[in-house]
Formats: sequence, C-alpha cells, structure tokens
Amino acid sequence: MDRETVERVARAAHIKLTEAELEAYSRDLNEILSYFELLDEAPGCDDYGVNPIDVCDVLRDDEPRMEIDPDLLLKDMNTYEGYVRGPRLS
Amino acid sequence: MSIDMTMERMRAINDRYLMFHAMAESVDTDAGFTFSAKDNLTSKDMETCAGSKILIGYKPVFDATSIARMREEGGFLMGKTNMDEFGFGTFSTNSGLEVPRNPHDVERACGGSSGGSACAAAVFEDHVSLGVSTGGSICCPASFCGVYGMAPTYGRVSRYGLIDYGNSLDKIGILSAKAGDLRRYINVMAGKDPKDPTSCVQPELKNEERSMKSVAVPKEGIEGLSKDVESAFNNALEDLKRMGIDVEYVDMPSLRFAMPAYYVLATSEASTNLARYVGMRYGQQEGDLSLKFDDYFSSFRSEYFGDEAKRRILLGTYTRMAGFRDRYYAKALQVRKVVIDDYKRILADHDAVLAPTMPFTAPRFDDISKMSALDSYKADYLTIPANIAGTPHMSVPCGYGSDGMPIGMQFVADHWDENVLFTMAEDWEKEFDLRRPEVTI
Repeated sequence: MDRETVERVARAAHIKLTEAELEAYSRDLNEILSYFELLDEAPGCDDYGVNPIDVCDVLRDDEPRMEIDPDLLLKDMNTYEGYVRGPRLS
Repeated sequence: MSIDMTMERMRAINDRYLMFHAMAESVDTDAGFTFSAKDNLTSKDMETCAGSKILIGYKPVFDATSIARMREEGGFLMGKTNMDEFGFGTFSTNSGLEVPRNPHDVERACGGSSGGSACAAAVFEDHVSLGVSTGGSICCPASFCGVYGMAPTYGRVSRYGLIDYGNSLDKIGILSAKAGDLRRYINVMAGKDPKDPTSCVQPELKNEERSMKSVAVPKEGIEGLSKDVESAFNNALEDLKRMGIDVEYVDMPSLRFAMPAYYVLATSEASTNLARYVGMRYGQQEGDLSLKFDDYFSSFRSEYFGDEAKRRILLGTYTRMAGFRDRYYAKALQVRKVVIDDYKRILADHDAVLAPTMPFTAPRFDDISKMSALDSYKADYLTIPANIAGTPHMSVPCGYGSDGMPIGMQFVADHWDENVLFTMAEDWEKEFDLRRPEVTI
C-alpha cells in the first residue's frame, strides 16, 4: 500500500492526514496487510453468510407511531428554525 | 438490600482507578443492586461517548435495551465505564478520554476494550458491569483484572442502543467478581427485542444446572504463552481433572486464520459505521459551517477521531474497495464459516473448547506504548475465534503470575449453550481462591 493509495483511501473516508500521519499509516498498513496475506492460504467455502448465526427479518404492523419526541432529539442538536444545521453543499 | 456507598467514596475510588467516564449524580440507596455499563451503551441520564472525543456532549434520549432491563430489575446505574475509542483496542489505552488503571497494579492496563467495566467489577463489592465484546473485549479485561466475564451468543442480548463497532460481531455481556452473577444478569438482559431483529431468532435461555464433562484444548491455542500463563493454565487443567472433567488436546487448524479474518470484518464494518460521525446531530458540532460539505466533514473527523480509529477506518475502507473486496472481505466471511464448522466439529464431542484467555498478564503502560498496531492485534489471537464465530464464551480467573497479576482461562461453548458455561463458572468458583484487589479508600 503506497503513499498515494493511503491518500486515496483517506479521501474516500473523509479523513485529512498530515505528512507525519501519512508516513506512519503507510508503514502500519503495509505491515498489517502483509500479515493479512495469511488469508490467501486459508480454506474457503461456498455456504457463508454475513452473520455468525441465521437471522430473519422481523416486521411490525404498518401503523404510525412515535417512540421518541422529535423535540427531545432536536434539543442538543445545532439547529436553525427547527432544521439541523450543516455545511453548504457547494 | 440497601446500597452501602456514598458519592464521596465513589469519586475517590474513581480518582484512583478512572473506571468511570460519567457517574450518577447521587446514590440510590434503595436500589436492589448496583451496576455500571460500558460507555458505548446509551443511557438517558448520562453522557455517552464510547471513548471518543467526537461524541463529547452526546446525551442520549433513550436507554439501551440492556440498560433498561437492568434498571427494570431494580438496578442502580452507578456510572459509564471507560473504554478504547469505539472498542478499538486491547488495553483501553486507545481512548480519547480517560484510561482506566488496573486495580491490582495501577501502573498496568485493565485490558480492553471493556477495561473500565472489568475494573469496576473488581473494585466494587456486589457490583456487576455490562461490557461489550467484538473481538474479545469482555474476556480480555476480565482476565487482566481477575474477574468472571461472559459474552453470550451473538443475538442473545439486544444490541438496541449499542453504539456499533462491528454489527455482525458485537455482543453485550457481563463482568463480575461473582460467578453467579453471569447467570443472573444474562437472564435479565436476554430475550427477544423487536428493536434488534438479530435478537429475535434466539431459543429460550436454559437455566437448569448442566455440569461440564469434557473440554477440548486446541494445540494451536497454547502456543506463544508467557511462562506464567502456561504454568497457571496447566495447573488449572489438573484442577479440572480433579473435578471429574475430561481434558483432551485437539487440532483446530482454522484458529490461525481467525485473526486476519476478524480484523478485515471488524474494520470493514467499523469504517461504514463511523461514516455517521460528521459533526452534525449529536456530540461535537462546533465545526466551521462556512466550509464546503466535504471539507467540513474531513476537517471535523480528522480533528476528533483518535489515532487507532483513523487506522481502522483506513484499513476497513481499503479492504472494501473495488478490486480488493473478494480477496479480503469475502474471504474473511468464508474463514468465519470455517471457524464455526471447526467449533461445531469439536463441540460435538466436548462441552467446551478451552484455552488461556490472554497469552500474558496485564502489561505495563510503558510497555504498551512500545507496541506496534500489529503487535496489539496479535495479542487478541486467543479471544478472536469465539467472537468471529458468535459462540458464547467466558473467562474465569485461574491463577496469578509471578508479578501478582491475574490470569484467566476462556471456555467456548456451542451457539445458545450458555447454560453449560454458567454451571462451569459456579462450580469453578467453589474450587478457586479469588484474590480481590485491596481498596483502602
């Protein structure tokens, strides 16, 4: 994993890295990914899922309900006239 | 029962050990029992930060299901316990907030990432603490602090209100100095919760006593141990044999692949979960809103995420990228299945798989600071396999090193078979002389 790749990954992850961080993470990630090459030797299988146990969908009746008062949620948010404030889009 | 504790004493104890990030404002002396909870479980009367600066100021408006059920049972929530940021660590030193100190030697770590919980369980009398395990974050600190710790089967306890690290790995469990608390409080928290669908497939938790008859010790699980751990573990095996439990050494070749598979899965899931922390809606929200969208998020995340959080975000983002996904993420999922199959094969003939919990005793803080990231990851090799498999597992204290520090051993049972672990802990407690840390406050 070269420096340019680390920079590209950091941009995708919305992380700004200093020069010192770029250096350190390039070194660390190379060491870690080298160790991960062990996975190439591991046996594979076809019948795998994304959870360690079988899970099922749980549906509820399609009835409107309000478990948490929106005013409570807004209380600690940075808001303006009831809207959450965020950065400009462009 | 009345609670024999004052705020003054609680604060004094916390000043020494730093187990709590947040504490209750007053003691409810009429409560049935006291408990604490890892600070990645939401609590509506205390700030919840998950060990991260990015969440400072977050005051949830709801309790996690696990905390709600403990309160309904009569529990008094004393405090929220310090931890590695979002659970990213082995020693609770990767915290953006306070780092808990081991009650057996304050120059040493509590283990991670539920380090504050293990510390509280060791220090306070008649106290139980909720921990969360993703790759070993209950058993590791239980071992280092000399208490009992159990992570039940994945899905046994609702994750509603848990600040996610790895959704397919996170499990809420219990740490306590009393073996009987594992059964008692897992029972309180377990059960279906429509707010977490993964909890809704679970069979009923069994509670009749079921003594362990045989354990399998994987040869791969007793490699690379310190002399103290090896010696304590071998002595414990002799004790188990005296208790009438058969001990058989077995091969479990998949164990060597579990560690890299875990870090691929955990960081992949973490990097997507942490995408929500952008300086809006909760926690820190004091970024420069005049910046453009991308710049605002990047500046904010770069300032408030800690070093290990950034490392895991980068690693998880990389392993999910086009061109690498099959090599890393898909292969890691396959390895998880291979590990599960290996456990099932062995557990068809044995009640549990047994190995030491950690390869060494609690290290000193100055030694931890010299470890590389990969060194830390490798320290988890004994606790990771059960976590990647979602099987219930439990660390029990089994000895003390030449440095006086506690040593634990970890039992792993089949999915949904917590009962055999509960009974084992209760039987073991009658045989083992537990040393509590001396707290003179």
